[in-house]
Amino acid sequence: MTILARLDRWKQEALISPEQHSYLSGLCRREQVSLFLELNILLYAGVLAFVAGLGWTVSTWSQQLGDLLVVAVLSTLLAACFWYCFSRAPAWSFAETPAPTAIFDYVLYLGSLVWGIELAYLENRFHVLSGQWNFHLLATAAFFFFLAYRFDNRCVLSLALSSLAGWFGLTISHLPFHQDTAYRRFALLYCLLVGIGGVLLKQRSLKPHFFGTYLNIVANVLFWALLSGVFNRRGYGIWFLALLIACAGSLAWGLKRREFVFVAYSAVYGYVGVSSILIRGVYDDTVVLGYFVITAVAMLVALILIARRFGRAA
Amino acid sequence: MRLYSAFSEETLRARKLLADWADEGVLTKTQYERLAQETVSDLRTTNIFLRLILFLFTLICVAATAGLFFKVFLSQSSNQTTGIFLLIFAVVCYVAAEIAASQAHLYRYGIEEALVVCSVGFLCGGMQAALFSGRPYSPKPDVIQCVVPTAGLAFSLWIWRRFGLWYAFLAAMIFAVFLSGCWTSSPSAQRVIVGLLYVIGLVCVIAARSGLEHNEDDYAIVEPLLWLGIYLAINLQLSSLSMRAQWLGLGIRSASEFPRSFYWSTWVLIWCLPLVVLARGVRRKDRFVIAAGAMLAILTFVSNKPYLGWPRHTWDPMLLGILLIGTAWLIRSWLARSPGAIRRGFTSARLSGKDKDWMNVGSVAAGLAAPQSLAPTRSAEFRFGGGSSGGGGAGGSF
Repeated sequence: MTILARLDRWKQEALISPEQHSYLSGLCRREQVSLFLELNILLYAGVLAFVAGLGWTVSTWSQQLGDLLVVAVLSTLLAACFWYCFSRAPAWSFAETPAPTAIFDYVLYLGSLVWGIELAYLENRFHVLSGQWNFHLLATAAFFFFLAYRFDNRCVLSLALSSLAGWFGLTISHLPFHQDTAYRRFALLYCLLVGIGGVLLKQRSLKPHFFGTYLNIVANVLFWALLSGVFNRRGYGIWFLALLIACAGSLAWGLKRREFVFVAYSAVYGYVGVSSILIRGVYDDTVVLGYFVITAVAMLVALILIARRFGRAA
Repeated sequence: MRLYSAFSEETLRARKLLADWADEGVLTKTQYERLAQETVSDLRTTNIFLRLILFLFTLICVAATAGLFFKVFLSQSSNQTTGIFLLIFAVVCYVAAEIAASQAHLYRYGIEEALVVCSVGFLCGGMQAALFSGRPYSPKPDVIQCVVPTAGLAFSLWIWRRFGLWYAFLAAMIFAVFLSGCWTSSPSAQRVIVGLLYVIGLVCVIAARSGLEHNEDDYAIVEPLLWLGIYLAINLQLSSLSMRAQWLGLGIRSASEFPRSFYWSTWVLIWCLPLVVLARGVRRKDRFVIAAGAMLAILTFVSNKPYLGWPRHTWDPMLLGILLIGTAWLIRSWLARSPGAIRRGFTSARLSGKDKDWMNVGSVAAGLAAPQSLAPTRSAEFRFGGGSSGGGGAGGSF
């Protein structure tokens, strides 16, 4: 029975109204076809190509063009983008607000990227921050957070989170002591900061739909940091314990909230971490292969049970 | 031929559509719950994340089992023996996949998919080891060598039809590329052979689609894949190794690898093909084909200058960007100006909740991906390299 036949039957049985039947049948017959996604991808690709060309041109021809012209062009572009966004933005709200125009999000994205290029140019040519790139990243992150919350834009939010991570990373590169450990600790600090920030903002109902973005980024950074600790030759015990706790937390969250990406995180990162501990120093191929057979079967059984109990609806 | 009944697949499709319509608010929650009871399929499916990890762990399990078997029982065996046992593994994996799908009713569950993927790998590896191990390598084409890619192609096509997995068709297309290398060493002839094979496939798919009304999921991705394959076969600037090297600045001269008439014929074709694909996509209102046509058009713009031997400029990407933004904006405005914002059945409005989900995931990924290339290196000689600026966007070295 095709979906059209089902719709006819549901209409006859008064399960759907004639208007619903007409609309849904039209969709199934392709009387209406949406180009929403395609046009958005085209806009995104266009902005990305434009910014790539802009950066390339500025970096290649800056000597010939002169600082004044480069800064003037970049500033004009920046001002135009932000003028467009601020002049058309709806009143700010705590809740999710749709973009006022179809190209609004892309103009904001373009402005954010041009901001990055201009700041880098100014710093490189005039040493505004005296080579302190980390402050540049921190300022950029703060500015992007402001833009993301003002204009309700996930893309700029993830730019902000990346810039913040970049600031942490660059700050560590200035530190004199052992950097692997420092990176790990700063990654955990980043997770703590971003995670707590995300929770607090959600609790205050400040753009609560952003919470998923925070959580996914925090989960991945956290798991990578913990795994890097587990891979250490010495002193990995505490990291392994932390990894197990994180996996348990991720699994519980994923099952409770029906967000199965967190189940996937806990399964994959957990398996890699546990395997690296259990087969560390084992050089017998038979034992290693036997380990993978047994553990993969065990994982499959566990995942099938999860999938049968929880996975279908999501 | 198909493993799953049309009724079961149609029921599953109806269930997904109901969920989508309920998400979009076209159906009320009560209606959705009532109608969902009528769309209970006997097929067992799961969500994308569990599907992916089930696929991964099945692959690990099968690969480790095969490795353990060879380690324990056949560590001293000849290549022929190894090949024969690999073929046995292929059969075992395929039978297991059939049982998983037919008895346990697994449908896009990850497990049966990994099993069929392993069966293709074991089949090709086994045939290669059993038939061709010990043969001296020769760069000359050898028709007998086409046995392995032919078997891989045929088996992948069978899996595509039997299980309805679109990536099995992609695997078949890749095997077709290897097939051409067995017949001739001429790059032009290889491209013509690959292109012809894809054209034959396309004709079959188009013929099959013309008889279908709406349930054409099997072909929905296959047709754009074939168009893309034909395009890549004829676009010498994108798929020629020496020309890619030239693009990457490795200093290899482009070439005389192809006859002049062939070279310029392909240039004409790369301009014609996107138009044909777009026209077909618009006529059939097929989003995947339209997307493929748009992709081909962009690739044509990107590869046109290298084709003509013209120098590329740093502002070329800007012009491409302006063209893309302008095109999107014009289409959107053109659609919006018509009554009901629908023109010839097309609208720029969102009709499916899935589009919003894709946009949300894509926007987060785009934001994360953009600054990855721009973390500034802390070197004394650091010079401005186009937005090496943290949150900026342009990579330090695009």
